[in-house]
Amino acid sequence: MNISISPLIALLFFPGGIFLLGSGLVYEYIDRKLVAQFQNRVGPRWFQPLADIIKLLAKEEITLAGVNPQLFVALPVVALAAALTAALYVPMFGFQAMFSFRGDLVVTLYLLSMMTLCSGLAGANSVDRFSIIGATRTLTQLFSYEAPFLLALLGPAIVAGTWQISDINTYAMSHTWLILTQPIGFIVAVIGLMGKLELPPFDAPEAETEIVSGALTEYSGRGLALFRIGKDVELVIGLTLVVAFYLGGLGNPLVFLLKTLVLRLVTAGLQSLFARLRIDQTVGMWWRIGALVALVQLLAVIIGLFIGKII
Amino acid sequence: MEAKVSPQKFIVPIGPQHPALKEPGHFEFTVEGEIITGATVRLGYVHRGIEKSTEDRNWVQNLYLLERICGICSHIHATAYVLGVEALANVTAPPRAQAIRTLVCELERIHSHMLWLGVAAHEGGFDTLFMYSWRDRETVMDLLEGLSGNRVNYSVNVLGGVKIDVDEKQAATIRKGIDFLEGRTQYYMKVVTTDETFLGRTRNVGTMTYDQADALAAVGPTARASGIARDVRADAPYVAYPDFPIKVITERGGDLAARFVVRINELYESYRLVREILDKLPVGELTTRVPRRIPENEAISRVEAPRGELFYYLKSNGTEKPERIKVRTPSICNWATVMNFAIGLKLADMPMILAGIDPCFSCSDRAVIINRKSQSQEWSWEDLRQYGIKYYR
Amino acid sequence: MPIGVMLSDILSSLFKKPATEQYPFVKEPVPERLRGELFWDPAKCTGCQLCVKDCPADALELIVLDKVNKRFVLRYNADKCIYCGQCVMNCRFKCLNMSNEQWELAATSKAPFLVNYGRDEDVQFLLDKAAQEEGPVPCEKP
Repeated sequence: MNISISPLIALLFFPGGIFLLGSGLVYEYIDRKLVAQFQNRVGPRWFQPLADIIKLLAKEEITLAGVNPQLFVALPVVALAAALTAALYVPMFGFQAMFSFRGDLVVTLYLLSMMTLCSGLAGANSVDRFSIIGATRTLTQLFSYEAPFLLALLGPAIVAGTWQISDINTYAMSHTWLILTQPIGFIVAVIGLMGKLELPPFDAPEAETEIVSGALTEYSGRGLALFRIGKDVELVIGLTLVVAFYLGGLGNPLVFLLKTLVLRLVTAGLQSLFARLRIDQTVGMWWRIGALVALVQLLAVIIGLFIGKII
Repeated sequence: MEAKVSPQKFIVPIGPQHPALKEPGHFEFTVEGEIITGATVRLGYVHRGIEKSTEDRNWVQNLYLLERICGICSHIHATAYVLGVEALANVTAPPRAQAIRTLVCELERIHSHMLWLGVAAHEGGFDTLFMYSWRDRETVMDLLEGLSGNRVNYSVNVLGGVKIDVDEKQAATIRKGIDFLEGRTQYYMKVVTTDETFLGRTRNVGTMTYDQADALAAVGPTARASGIARDVRADAPYVAYPDFPIKVITERGGDLAARFVVRINELYESYRLVREILDKLPVGELTTRVPRRIPENEAISRVEAPRGELFYYLKSNGTEKPERIKVRTPSICNWATVMNFAIGLKLADMPMILAGIDPCFSCSDRAVIINRKSQSQEWSWEDLRQYGIKYYR
Repeated sequence: MPIGVMLSDILSSLFKKPATEQYPFVKEPVPERLRGELFWDPAKCTGCQLCVKDCPADALELIVLDKVNKRFVLRYNADKCIYCGQCVMNCRFKCLNMSNEQWELAATSKAPFLVNYGRDEDVQFLLDKAAQEEGPVPCEKP
């Protein structure tokens, strides 16, 4: 669906900016409610994520002694900015992407990784022992799932013949759903999404019972609120990407809502099923199984295209 | 507390406040990257001076005080105390009372093991198992509430017998609850022994061989998971265990997975025992008379708490108040096993290892003064107080 | 290699009601042996004070107004009480019992927790005497 809004409004209010933040909170609520339902309990009420953010923004921010103060304050802002910028190239809420150009798949993925990089840096910046361990784990996990995730998103890009997200979206809308023709890629993409968002079983960088809160242990008040909003926005963008590529594209808001909710249900179920993996098990799994499988899928796609051209 | 941040190794402090710990305790793990190279423990954050307070209260009041040393093993502390007092006064409680005491002991063991299953799963990041096992634990808590009137600190013991009786309706409710729990326990056994993600966290983690466990004097399910067949209920049966013998459950692995399996198998054994007691409850009265002034005597009593062997030493001096009561809880013995076998593991395994021995910090806080000099020291109340103030300055 | 063994449980929970008891709106029935607030019937009391002696928390105090005519007032500190039931067990004349209905004992001040049990005229007598005397009111501990 194509609507024309002035760029300033698109950036600040709709569909980016405030609307995106709001939808991030809504998706966090849905996630927590689904996980609670899977665990046979009630879960929070609808305004809980909003109340969390408001409370955090209202609290005093304590800057540690011994850290670089500019970096300490700037990193959450940069993380949120990266996440919001990535939303500009993705068909959010079923509308056409606001600014799209050739090659914006790579840019989007880099912007999303920048968010994780910022939280890793924030952890390394704090002198607290838990933060340093958390930062190490965040960066280790970043290195391990980026390659398979990118490969999994590359499959549809190759079939569509372009690196531009909007064109891939259009391709996906008009052909059979790529989940059926590239099932392995879909599985790697979903699991890669869970790794990117640090959802259990890949939440070793943020393991509550081992290292308190990982890289973000020393953040409080505004910084923590910005990181949390950034994570929620990353959630929405990640879901949109995977749905746009594999689940038949996004044409209009209703389709967007339905498909992302179904994918959210699947990821919430996967979240509840497994115990947390240790960081060495995560890395081992990704580099041995994940990358290999994604490569196999990619090869299958290329060979299929080649044969298709010959025939 | 200095932060040692050298690039090679540093010390990660766990506690006193930490999401991994349910009660305060201080552990320092020296790590290199993710590998633990050293571990120390410091307890004492929940020391409440209970042993000293017992000297101020009469025998009946002490029963309720000692019951509150720990919330999960409260009945077994009360049972050990009551058995000790009855030994001092040279009376024996009637058989029906002993059987009801055993019944509540086993129900408490079921409760404690289900609680532990949830907590250990939570430490490993498996929140779903945590929620489900605690949901099912509510069943046994409701059973205990129906029997005694309270979900924790049941207070069913009195000196000389028990306060409550078990009638037919109660027995039927208990049987129904146990049937439900047995089905769920089989499901949890399947999850714990077959789920690959969970086994990846528990298999070959913290392995302790038979000789090592013996040398470190481990007790309870931690020792039984390494093959040591030590269980006070079988070695020195108390209350009604001579009439309702149990089977000692052991495993040979010695790792964390074996500890899970031992505790779940003990759950099965407890279910069987509860059913047997309900079927063959002896008739009779519930209490016998214990004098208010206990004659001068000393006694010990040993019982099997859900965590291991619990040991009480009591001394009376002919008055209404005890002379000295000394409590030795099982969790104290098991700390050495954790500290020795933490070395070489990864930091991520640390919470599960700590939870694997089922630590009860409230039970572990006793004051120990090791006397290295040859002459003896006499400490008055004021001396102790001054020592404490100087130590913490 | 089985993973996700809890799948059956999780999927069935999607369609079940949550197991949480939403307390203030839904109150499950309590068992009949619940040890709630303590109540005293002065009619049969002989003033032996066994309940006072054995209370682990010093929550009971028997004030003797007239021993021959059996006029007693039992002062019960509901906030000190640990609800163990030893006093109920000790009383040979069954004057004490623990309610299984009054168990929601939260209050916003200390006053409701100090309960004076007795015949109305006895309690009134005690309160009048305390009001006349100089010194702490019965509701406050010195």
